[in-house]
Amino acid sequence: MSDSSREAYNAARVKALESLLIEKGIITSETVDKVIDFFEKDMGPFNGAKIVAKAWVDPEFKQRLLEDTPAAIAQMNLPRGMAGAEGEHMKAVENTPEVHNLIVCTLCSCYPWPVLGLPPYWFKDPTFRARAIREPRKVLQEFGLDIPESTEVRVWDTSAQIRWFVIPERPAGTEGWTEEQLATIVTPEAMQGAAKVQISQSS
Amino acid sequence: MKLQHYLGGLEGLGRINFEKRVFVQPWEKRIFGIHVAMMALSQHLEAAKVTPTQFKSIWTWANLRKLAEGMNPFDYFKYRYYEKWLGGISSFFIESGYISTAELETKTEVFLEKSDTPLPHNTEPAIDNQVIEYLRVGDSPKCKVEDLKPKFSVGDTVTIKNPLPTEHCKLPGYLRNKQGVIETVYEDAYNYPLQTGDGVGDPMPIYSIKFDSHAIWGNLTEPKTWIYADIYEAYIENPN
Repeated sequence: MSDSSREAYNAARVKALESLLIEKGIITSETVDKVIDFFEKDMGPFNGAKIVAKAWVDPEFKQRLLEDTPAAIAQMNLPRGMAGAEGEHMKAVENTPEVHNLIVCTLCSCYPWPVLGLPPYWFKDPTFRARAIREPRKVLQEFGLDIPESTEVRVWDTSAQIRWFVIPERPAGTEGWTEEQLATIVTPEAMQGAAKVQISQSS
Repeated sequence: MKLQHYLGGLEGLGRINFEKRVFVQPWEKRIFGIHVAMMALSQHLEAAKVTPTQFKSIWTWANLRKLAEGMNPFDYFKYRYYEKWLGGISSFFIESGYISTAELETKTEVFLEKSDTPLPHNTEPAIDNQVIEYLRVGDSPKCKVEDLKPKFSVGDTVTIKNPLPTEHCKLPGYLRNKQGVIETVYEDAYNYPLQTGDGVGDPMPIYSIKFDSHAIWGNLTEPKTWIYADIYEAYIENPN
Protein backbone atom coordinates (compact mmCIF):
# COMPACT_ATOMS: atom_id res chain seq x y z
CA MET A 1 0.00 0.00 0.00
CA SER A 2 1.40 3.43 -0.88
CA ASP A 3 1.76 6.02 1.87
CA SER A 4 -1.14 8.11 0.59
CA SER A 5 -3.52 5.18 0.27
CA ARG A 6 -2.38 3.93 3.69
CA GLU A 7 -3.33 7.31 5.20
CA ALA A 8 -6.59 7.46 3.26
CA TYR A 9 -7.46 4.02 4.60
CA ASN A 10 -6.54 5.00 8.18
CA ALA A 11 -8.62 8.18 7.89
CA ALA A 12 -11.64 6.24 6.60
CA ARG A 13 -11.27 3.55 9.23
CA VAL A 14 -11.11 5.98 12.15
CA LYS A 15 -14.16 7.83 10.79
CA ALA A 16 -15.97 4.52 10.47
CA LEU A 17 -15.09 3.66 14.06
CA GLU A 18 -16.17 7.07 15.37
CA SER A 19 -19.37 6.85 13.36
CA LEU A 20 -20.22 3.41 14.80
CA LEU A 21 -19.44 4.52 18.36
CA ILE A 22 -21.84 7.45 17.92
CA GLU A 23 -24.54 5.17 16.48
CA LYS A 24 -24.17 2.73 19.39
CA GLY A 25 -24.54 5.49 21.99
CA ILE A 26 -20.99 5.15 23.34
CA ILE A 27 -19.93 8.71 22.48
CA THR A 28 -21.76 11.66 20.91
CA SER A 29 -21.30 13.53 17.65
CA GLU A 30 -19.45 16.19 19.63
CA THR A 31 -17.20 14.15 21.93
CA VAL A 32 -14.07 13.93 19.80
CA ASP A 33 -14.24 17.59 18.75
CA LYS A 34 -14.61 18.62 22.38
CA VAL A 35 -11.53 16.64 23.39
CA ILE A 36 -9.47 18.21 20.60
CA ASP A 37 -10.76 21.67 21.50
CA PHE A 38 -9.80 21.12 25.13
CA PHE A 39 -6.20 20.34 24.17
CA GLU A 40 -6.07 23.38 21.92
CA LYS A 41 -7.41 25.82 24.53
CA ASP A 42 -7.07 24.54 28.12
CA MET A 43 -4.24 22.05 28.37
CA GLY A 44 -1.04 22.57 26.49
CA PRO A 45 2.55 23.76 26.51
CA PHE A 46 1.30 27.33 27.04
CA ASN A 47 0.66 26.35 30.68
CA GLY A 48 4.16 24.97 31.11
CA ALA A 49 5.63 28.09 29.51
CA LYS A 50 3.88 30.28 32.11
CA ILE A 51 5.18 28.08 34.93
CA VAL A 52 8.75 28.25 33.61
CA ALA A 53 8.57 32.02 33.10
CA LYS A 54 7.42 32.48 36.69
CA ALA A 55 10.20 30.22 37.93
CA TRP A 56 12.74 32.38 36.06
CA VAL A 57 11.62 35.64 37.65
CA ASP A 58 10.72 34.36 41.12
CA PRO A 59 13.42 32.27 42.87
CA GLU A 60 11.15 31.35 45.77
CA PHE A 61 8.56 30.01 43.37
CA LYS A 62 11.24 28.05 41.52
CA GLN A 63 12.42 26.47 44.76
CA ARG A 64 8.86 25.49 45.61
CA LEU A 65 8.32 24.12 42.10
CA LEU A 66 11.36 21.87 42.48
CA GLU A 67 10.42 20.71 45.97
CA ASP A 68 6.65 20.32 45.61
CA THR A 69 5.67 20.69 41.99
CA PRO A 70 1.85 20.31 42.37
CA ALA A 71 1.70 22.79 45.27
CA ALA A 72 3.65 25.39 43.30
CA ILE A 73 1.49 24.91 40.20
CA ALA A 74 -1.66 25.19 42.34
CA GLN A 75 -0.50 28.69 43.39
CA MET A 76 -0.80 29.90 39.81
CA ASN A 77 -3.86 31.18 38.06
CA LEU A 78 -4.02 28.37 35.47
CA PRO A 79 -7.16 26.66 34.14
CA ARG A 80 -8.76 24.08 36.44
CA GLY A 81 -7.29 20.65 35.75
CA MET A 82 -3.57 21.03 36.38
CA ALA A 83 -3.77 17.94 38.61
CA GLY A 84 -6.01 16.18 36.09
CA ALA A 85 -5.38 13.44 33.56
CA GLU A 86 -1.63 12.68 33.33
CA GLY A 87 -0.90 15.54 35.70
CA GLU A 88 -1.86 13.74 38.89
CA HIS A 89 1.79 13.41 39.94
CA MET A 90 4.27 15.77 38.33
CA LYS A 91 7.88 16.64 39.15
CA ALA A 92 10.02 19.45 37.77
CA VAL A 93 13.82 19.27 37.40
CA GLU A 94 16.07 22.21 36.62
CA ASN A 95 18.70 22.62 33.91
CA THR A 96 21.79 24.58 34.97
CA PRO A 97 25.30 24.99 33.53
CA GLU A 98 26.26 22.01 35.75
CA VAL A 99 23.34 19.66 35.08
CA HIS A 100 21.34 18.94 31.94
CA ASN A 101 18.13 16.91 32.31
CA LEU A 102 16.44 14.99 29.50
CA ILE A 103 13.09 13.21 29.86
CA VAL A 104 12.29 9.97 28.05
CA CYS A 105 9.74 7.17 28.41
CA THR A 106 11.36 3.98 27.17
CA LEU A 107 8.24 1.86 27.69
CA CYS A 108 5.52 4.05 26.20
CA SER A 109 4.97 7.81 25.88
CA CYS A 110 4.18 9.18 29.35
CA TYR A 111 3.95 12.97 29.26
CA PRO A 112 2.57 15.67 31.62
CA TRP A 113 -0.52 16.63 29.61
CA PRO A 114 -1.85 19.55 31.71
CA VAL A 115 1.37 21.56 31.52
CA LEU A 116 2.82 20.32 28.22
CA GLY A 117 -0.18 19.11 26.26
CA LEU A 118 0.29 16.04 24.09
CA PRO A 119 3.72 14.65 23.25
CA PRO A 120 5.25 15.69 19.94
CA TYR A 121 6.22 13.00 17.45
CA TRP A 122 9.91 12.88 18.38
CA PHE A 123 9.10 12.01 21.99
CA LYS A 124 7.13 8.94 20.83
CA ASP A 125 9.68 7.93 18.19
CA PRO A 126 11.05 4.48 19.11
CA THR A 127 14.49 5.61 17.89
CA PHE A 128 14.51 8.53 20.33
CA ARG A 129 13.31 6.28 23.16
CA ALA A 130 15.96 3.65 22.40
CA ARG A 131 18.90 6.03 22.00
CA ALA A 132 18.23 8.81 24.52
CA ILE A 133 18.69 6.45 27.45
CA ARG A 134 22.16 5.25 26.33
CA GLU A 135 23.76 8.10 24.36
CA PRO A 136 21.91 11.28 25.37
CA ARG A 137 24.76 13.63 24.43
CA LYS A 138 24.86 12.30 20.88
CA VAL A 139 21.09 12.46 20.61
CA LEU A 140 21.08 16.04 21.90
CA GLN A 141 23.77 16.94 19.37
CA GLU A 142 21.46 15.73 16.61
CA PHE A 143 18.84 18.05 18.06
CA GLY A 144 21.39 20.88 17.76
CA LEU A 145 22.39 20.98 21.39
CA ASP A 146 26.02 20.64 22.46
CA ILE A 147 26.34 19.69 26.11
CA PRO A 148 29.80 20.56 27.47
CA GLU A 149 31.81 17.62 28.84
CA SER A 150 31.85 19.28 32.23
CA THR A 151 28.04 19.21 32.43
CA GLU A 152 26.44 16.20 34.06
CA VAL A 153 23.62 14.61 32.04
CA ARG A 154 20.63 13.14 33.87
CA VAL A 155 18.16 11.10 31.85
CA TRP A 156 14.80 10.49 33.50
CA ASP A 157 12.91 7.38 32.41
CA THR A 158 9.28 7.93 33.36
CA SER A 159 8.58 4.26 33.90
CA ALA A 160 5.96 4.51 36.66
CA GLN A 161 3.46 7.20 37.66
CA ILE A 162 5.42 10.42 37.91
CA ARG A 163 5.32 12.80 34.95
CA TRP A 164 8.49 14.87 34.60
CA PHE A 165 9.27 18.19 32.98
CA VAL A 166 12.32 20.44 32.78
CA ILE A 167 12.78 24.05 33.84
CA PRO A 168 15.19 25.12 31.08
CA GLU A 169 17.92 27.71 31.55
CA ARG A 170 16.85 31.30 31.08
CA PRO A 171 18.67 32.69 28.03
CA ALA A 172 21.02 35.63 28.37
CA GLY A 173 19.64 38.86 26.96
CA THR A 174 16.23 38.51 28.61
CA GLU A 175 17.01 40.71 31.59
CA GLY A 176 14.08 42.94 32.39
CA TRP A 177 11.60 40.91 30.35
CA THR A 178 8.14 40.40 31.82
CA GLU A 179 6.78 36.94 32.63
CA GLU A 180 4.44 37.24 29.63
CA GLN A 181 7.36 38.00 27.29
CA LEU A 182 9.43 35.17 28.73
CA ALA A 183 6.59 32.68 28.33
CA THR A 184 6.53 33.31 24.57
CA ILE A 185 10.00 31.83 24.07
CA VAL A 186 9.61 28.58 26.07
CA THR A 187 9.08 25.57 23.81
CA PRO A 188 7.83 22.04 24.58
CA GLU A 189 11.24 20.74 23.44
CA ALA A 190 13.01 22.93 26.02
CA MET A 191 10.65 21.66 28.73
CA GLN A 192 11.70 18.07 27.95
CA GLY A 193 15.40 18.89 27.81
CA ALA A 194 15.78 18.41 24.05
CA ALA A 195 16.41 22.07 23.25
CA LYS A 196 17.62 25.29 24.81
CA VAL A 197 15.43 28.33 24.94
CA GLN A 198 16.42 30.77 22.20
CA ILE A 199 15.52 34.42 22.01
CA SER A 200 15.25 34.27 18.23
CA GLN A 201 12.28 31.92 18.53
CA SER A 202 10.15 34.76 19.89
CA SER A 203 9.78 36.64 16.61
CA MET B 1 10.42 -11.63 26.18
CA LYS B 2 9.05 -8.75 24.17
CA LEU B 3 11.29 -6.42 22.19
CA GLN B 4 8.93 -3.60 23.26
CA HIS B 5 10.14 -3.96 26.87
CA TYR B 6 13.78 -3.80 25.79
CA LEU B 7 13.62 -0.73 23.56
CA GLY B 8 15.92 1.32 25.82
CA GLY B 9 19.48 1.04 24.48
CA LEU B 10 18.67 -0.73 21.23
CA GLU B 11 21.40 -0.05 18.67
CA GLY B 12 21.48 0.48 14.93
CA LEU B 13 18.37 2.62 14.67
CA GLY B 14 19.96 5.64 13.00
CA ARG B 15 18.79 9.19 13.31
CA ILE B 16 15.76 10.39 15.19
CA ASN B 17 12.74 11.85 13.48
CA PHE B 18 12.65 15.27 15.14
CA GLU B 19 9.08 16.06 14.12
CA LYS B 20 7.66 18.65 16.51
CA ARG B 21 4.02 18.25 15.62
CA VAL B 22 1.74 16.17 17.84
CA PHE B 23 -0.36 14.91 14.95
CA VAL B 24 0.99 14.59 11.41
CA GLN B 25 -2.27 13.35 9.90
CA PRO B 26 -5.67 14.88 10.69
CA TRP B 27 -7.15 11.44 11.43
CA GLU B 28 -4.69 10.94 14.31
CA LYS B 29 -6.60 13.54 16.34
CA ARG B 30 -9.77 11.48 15.98
CA ILE B 31 -8.33 8.25 17.40
CA PHE B 32 -6.73 10.21 20.21
CA GLY B 33 -10.15 11.74 21.02
CA ILE B 34 -11.79 8.31 20.98
CA HIS B 35 -9.16 6.95 23.38
CA VAL B 36 -9.68 9.88 25.80
CA ALA B 37 -13.44 9.28 25.70
CA MET B 38 -12.91 5.60 26.54
CA MET B 39 -10.60 6.54 29.44
CA ALA B 40 -13.23 9.00 30.74
CA LEU B 41 -16.10 6.52 30.38
CA SER B 42 -14.18 3.57 31.86
CA GLN B 43 -16.51 1.81 34.24
CA HIS B 44 -14.02 1.72 37.13
CA LEU B 45 -14.67 5.47 37.53
CA GLU B 46 -17.62 6.25 39.81
CA ALA B 47 -18.71 9.22 37.68
CA ALA B 48 -18.64 7.11 34.51
CA LYS B 49 -20.94 4.48 36.04
CA VAL B 50 -23.78 7.02 36.15
CA THR B 51 -23.04 8.57 32.74
CA PRO B 52 -25.63 7.65 30.07
CA THR B 53 -23.20 5.87 27.75
CA GLN B 54 -23.45 2.38 26.30
CA PHE B 55 -19.75 1.85 27.11
CA LYS B 56 -19.69 -0.86 29.78
CA SER B 57 -16.00 -1.76 29.88
CA ILE B 58 -12.89 -0.78 31.74
CA TRP B 59 -10.36 1.06 29.60
CA THR B 60 -7.19 2.50 31.15
CA TRP B 61 -3.64 3.19 29.97
CA ALA B 62 -2.83 -0.29 31.13
CA ASN B 63 -5.28 -1.78 28.61
CA LEU B 64 -3.81 0.22 25.74
CA ARG B 65 -0.22 -0.57 26.75
CA LYS B 66 -1.02 -4.25 27.12
CA LEU B 67 -2.35 -4.30 23.56
CA ALA B 68 0.71 -2.46 22.19
CA GLU B 69 3.18 -4.63 24.11
CA GLY B 70 1.24 -7.76 23.16
CA MET B 71 1.72 -7.08 19.45
CA ASN B 72 4.09 -8.99 17.25
CA PRO B 73 7.24 -6.85 17.67
CA PHE B 74 7.81 -6.65 13.92
CA ASP B 75 4.33 -5.18 13.53
CA TYR B 76 4.96 -2.87 16.48
CA PHE B 77 7.82 -1.21 14.62
CA LYS B 78 6.08 -1.31 11.25
CA TYR B 79 3.15 0.83 12.33
CA ARG B 80 3.25 4.45 13.37
CA TYR B 81 2.26 5.45 16.89
CA TYR B 82 -1.41 6.28 16.25
CA GLU B 83 -1.77 3.43 13.74
CA LYS B 84 -1.11 1.10 16.67
CA TRP B 85 -3.79 2.90 18.66
CA LEU B 86 -6.26 2.64 15.77
CA GLY B 87 -5.56 -1.07 15.34
CA GLY B 88 -5.68 -1.83 19.07
CA ILE B 89 -8.80 0.19 19.82
CA SER B 90 -10.69 -1.18 16.80
CA SER B 91 -9.87 -4.76 17.85
CA PHE B 92 -10.97 -3.98 21.39
CA PHE B 93 -14.41 -2.80 20.25
CA ILE B 94 -14.80 -5.81 17.96
CA GLU B 95 -13.64 -8.38 20.53
CA SER B 96 -15.82 -6.83 23.25
CA GLY B 97 -18.87 -7.15 20.98
CA TYR B 98 -19.68 -3.45 20.55
CA ILE B 99 -19.20 -3.58 16.79
CA SER B 100 -18.58 -6.31 14.22
CA THR B 101 -15.72 -6.62 11.76
CA ALA B 102 -18.25 -6.51 8.92
CA GLU B 103 -19.79 -3.27 10.21
CA LEU B 104 -16.40 -1.62 10.50
CA GLU B 105 -15.35 -2.74 7.02
CA THR B 106 -18.61 -1.64 5.40
CA LYS B 107 -18.40 1.77 7.05
CA THR B 108 -14.74 2.14 6.12
CA GLU B 109 -15.70 1.58 2.47
CA VAL B 110 -18.33 4.33 2.77
CA PHE B 111 -15.77 6.85 4.04
CA LEU B 112 -13.14 5.71 1.54
CA GLU B 113 -15.56 6.38 -1.26
CA LYS B 114 -16.81 9.70 0.08
CA SER B 115 -14.57 11.07 2.81
CA ASP B 116 -16.91 13.95 3.66
CA THR B 117 -19.85 11.68 4.52
CA PRO B 118 -21.30 13.27 7.67
CA LEU B 119 -21.10 11.53 11.02
CA PRO B 120 -24.39 10.37 12.54
CA HIS B 121 -26.18 12.72 14.90
CA ASN B 122 -26.36 11.88 18.59
CA THR B 123 -26.46 14.50 21.33
CA GLU B 124 -25.98 13.65 24.99
CA PRO B 125 -24.29 16.47 26.91
CA ALA B 126 -23.80 14.26 29.99
CA ILE B 127 -21.34 12.08 28.05
CA ASP B 128 -19.31 15.04 26.83
CA ASN B 129 -19.34 16.64 30.27
CA GLN B 130 -17.93 13.47 31.83
CA VAL B 131 -15.18 13.31 29.20
CA ILE B 132 -14.01 16.86 29.90
CA GLU B 133 -14.46 16.45 33.66
CA TYR B 134 -12.23 13.35 33.55
CA LEU B 135 -9.51 15.40 31.87
CA ARG B 136 -9.72 17.98 34.65
CA VAL B 137 -9.91 15.55 37.57
CA GLY B 138 -7.77 12.68 36.30
CA ASP B 139 -7.55 9.25 37.87
CA SER B 140 -4.82 9.24 40.47
CA PRO B 141 -3.34 5.81 41.20
CA LYS B 142 -2.01 7.05 44.55
CA CYS B 143 -3.53 5.42 47.62
CA LYS B 144 -2.92 4.90 51.31
CA VAL B 145 -2.63 1.33 52.52
CA GLU B 146 -2.62 0.59 56.24
CA ASP B 147 0.54 -0.95 57.62
CA LEU B 148 2.28 -0.64 54.30
CA LYS B 149 5.84 0.52 54.85
CA PRO B 150 8.38 0.99 52.07
CA LYS B 151 10.99 -1.77 52.21
CA PHE B 152 13.80 0.54 51.09
CA SER B 153 15.12 3.95 52.16
CA VAL B 154 16.93 6.82 50.47
CA GLY B 155 20.59 5.90 49.94
CA ASP B 156 20.04 2.12 49.88
CA THR B 157 21.81 0.24 47.12
CA VAL B 158 19.31 -2.11 45.53
CA THR B 159 19.19 -4.69 42.76
CA ILE B 160 16.51 -4.72 40.08
CA LYS B 161 14.88 -8.13 39.81
CA ASN B 162 14.62 -10.13 36.62
CA PRO B 163 11.04 -11.43 36.62
CA LEU B 164 9.76 -13.44 33.67
CA PRO B 165 8.52 -10.87 31.18
CA THR B 166 4.84 -11.08 30.34
CA GLU B 167 2.83 -9.44 27.59
CA HIS B 168 2.67 -6.28 29.70
CA CYS B 169 5.44 -5.06 31.95
CA LYS B 170 6.37 -1.85 33.77
CA LEU B 171 10.08 -2.65 34.08
CA PRO B 172 12.38 -1.30 31.36
CA GLY B 173 14.39 -4.29 30.14
CA TYR B 174 17.79 -2.57 30.31
CA LEU B 175 17.49 -2.26 34.10
CA ARG B 176 17.10 -5.96 34.82
CA ASN B 177 19.76 -7.32 37.20
CA LYS B 178 21.32 -3.85 37.55
CA GLN B 179 22.20 -2.09 40.76
CA GLY B 180 21.13 1.43 41.64
CA VAL B 181 20.72 3.73 44.61
CA ILE B 182 17.37 4.87 45.97
CA GLU B 183 17.10 8.60 45.29
CA THR B 184 13.50 9.22 46.40
CA VAL B 185 10.88 7.18 48.22
CA TYR B 186 7.56 8.53 46.96
CA GLU B 187 4.85 9.05 49.56
CA ASP B 188 2.15 6.40 50.02
CA ALA B 189 1.45 3.64 47.53
CA TYR B 190 0.53 3.49 43.86
CA ASN B 191 -2.05 1.26 42.31
CA TYR B 192 -1.89 -0.18 38.83
CA PRO B 193 -5.15 -0.98 37.03
CA LEU B 194 -4.04 -4.39 35.73
CA GLN B 195 -2.17 -7.30 37.22
CA THR B 196 0.80 -7.43 34.88
CA GLY B 197 1.70 -11.01 35.82
CA ASP B 198 5.20 -10.05 36.94
CA GLY B 199 4.33 -8.51 40.30
CA VAL B 200 2.75 -5.12 39.58
CA GLY B 201 -0.96 -4.59 40.19
CA ASP B 202 -1.66 -4.23 43.89
CA PRO B 203 -0.83 -0.91 45.57
CA MET B 204 2.87 -0.67 46.42
CA PRO B 205 5.55 2.00 46.98
CA ILE B 206 7.41 3.53 44.06
CA TYR B 207 11.01 4.72 44.17
CA SER B 208 13.16 6.97 42.03
CA ILE B 209 16.38 5.01 41.54
CA LYS B 210 19.66 6.46 40.30
CA PHE B 211 21.84 4.32 38.03
CA ASP B 212 25.34 4.96 36.74
CA SER B 213 24.95 4.76 32.98
CA HIS B 214 28.32 2.93 32.77
CA ALA B 215 27.10 0.19 35.08
CA ILE B 216 24.38 -0.48 32.51
CA TRP B 217 26.05 0.15 29.14
CA GLY B 218 29.76 0.03 29.93
CA ASN B 219 31.80 1.87 27.30
CA LEU B 220 28.80 2.18 25.01
CA THR B 221 27.58 5.17 26.99
CA GLU B 222 28.96 8.65 27.61
CA PRO B 223 30.90 10.39 30.39
CA LYS B 224 29.07 11.93 33.33
CA THR B 225 25.73 10.37 32.47
CA TRP B 226 23.18 9.18 35.02
CA ILE B 227 19.87 7.44 34.56
CA TYR B 228 16.96 7.93 36.94
CA ALA B 229 13.99 5.60 36.71
CA ASP B 230 10.78 5.30 38.71
CA ILE B 231 10.45 1.67 39.76
CA TYR B 232 7.67 -0.29 41.48
CA GLU B 233 8.70 -2.03 44.68
CA ALA B 234 7.80 -5.46 43.23
CA TYR B 235 10.80 -5.10 40.91
CA ILE B 236 13.35 -4.32 43.63
CA GLU B 237 15.38 -6.51 46.00
CA ASN B 238 18.37 -6.19 48.29
CA PRO B 239 21.70 -6.76 46.53
CA ASN B 240 23.18 -10.24 46.91
